[in-house]
Amino acid sequence: MTRPALVSDKADVPAEGVEGNGLDSVRRAQAGDVDAFQLVYNEHAGRAYALCLRLVGGDTNDATELLQDVFIRAWRKLDTFRGDSAFSSWLHRLAVNTLLENARTEKRRTARVLPMDDTSRLPGAARASGIELKMDMEKAIASLPKGARLAFVLHDVEGYQHQEIAAQLSVSVGTVKAQLHRARRLLRERLER
Amino acid sequence: MTHDVIRHLLDDYVTGELTEDARAPVAEHIDGCELCSAEVESLKEILARASELPRSIDPPATAWSNIRHAIEHDAEVLRRVPAAKTWWRPFTAAAAVLLVAAVSSSATYLYVTRDPGYHVLAPKIAIRPAAETPASLAAFTVEENNYLRTASILQELLDSQQGELAPETIAQLKASLRTIDEAILEARNALARDPANKILIEMLSASYRQKVDLLRRTTEMTRGS
Repeated sequence: MTRPALVSDKADVPAEGVEGNGLDSVRRAQAGDVDAFQLVYNEHAGRAYALCLRLVGGDTNDATELLQDVFIRAWRKLDTFRGDSAFSSWLHRLAVNTLLENARTEKRRTARVLPMDDTSRLPGAARASGIELKMDMEKAIASLPKGARLAFVLHDVEGYQHQEIAAQLSVSVGTVKAQLHRARRLLRERLER
Repeated sequence: MTHDVIRHLLDDYVTGELTEDARAPVAEHIDGCELCSAEVESLKEILARASELPRSIDPPATAWSNIRHAIEHDAEVLRRVPAAKTWWRPFTAAAAVLLVAAVSSSATYLYVTRDPGYHVLAPKIAIRPAAETPASLAAFTVEENNYLRTASILQELLDSQQGELAPETIAQLKASLRTIDEAILEARNALARDPANKILIEMLSASYRQKVDLLRRTTEMTRGS
């Protein structure tokens, strides 16, 4: 079986073509050129949005908000990109970090605002409770529990290594593997219905 | 290796993450085990379907204009943070401590007396005239986004300048920000229960102004040091 193209396999080497001309736009954006940053956005937004959409569990509003947060943060932090890795890898790390930080903030806020018995309003509850009998792959991924979903999207869809995912999620490699195993098992069950 | 042990290795077998030494006995077992063979096929199917997912999906057309707007707002905020005049410099650390202590006391007051008497508190929060506070929750939501964005920019700017502040000032600043954030959270929760309460909107507005003010003034001092 052919494995998906591994972004992380070449994480420290600029990807051919994709990063070549784009790196010039990144450099100009680092100097404060917003039009150059728009070129960077045009080049990377599609892949970043696909990642965001899958990370948040398929909600287009949440994914758009995350995408915007990621690029706004990217603009603010552009000077920290030194070109040691592909810009897309740097951007994807930023996406995962932003998602995790937003989730922590939202969790604190939700815990204080919502009554404990009102679980129907918790993020993802509506999606998780409405699994269709026959679902496509995207819907099945969206229905996964968050930890399993992140592990699956980052490893099996985006191609990151266990160690990279563990470092980014601040968990052990064993936990990543367990979440992946769980994700694949759940996907099998849900797709075979 | 037993069937139970091998079942736990099937994921790594399918993704090619087993060492050669471990791979051979697993492959041999799979050949003779219907259950494991079916599971391997099923895993391969999942991975194949994952690899067929579109790598790129077009985001909504409005996303870039929102991003650009936010970037331009960033630039505007930074323009409003001028470098401090040179006469500040010898006194920056002391001034920062005093500023942080002053805002902290005010925020602490806001926090500890928040619960039963919002109506008593409101007139004392006189950072800006009450007339500047949005009159409705809808108007406040717009203003809140601006506060959050401005606070975030200033926080990042301050984070990058932390080396210019004394450790005790940083500790005091963090404590003050925590207190203000708690006050914000409490007011937000109260507002979620009572969205029409203008005093709560005013209180929350005041807390945000206080946070932005603390960050802006500390940033000004570090920029000038």
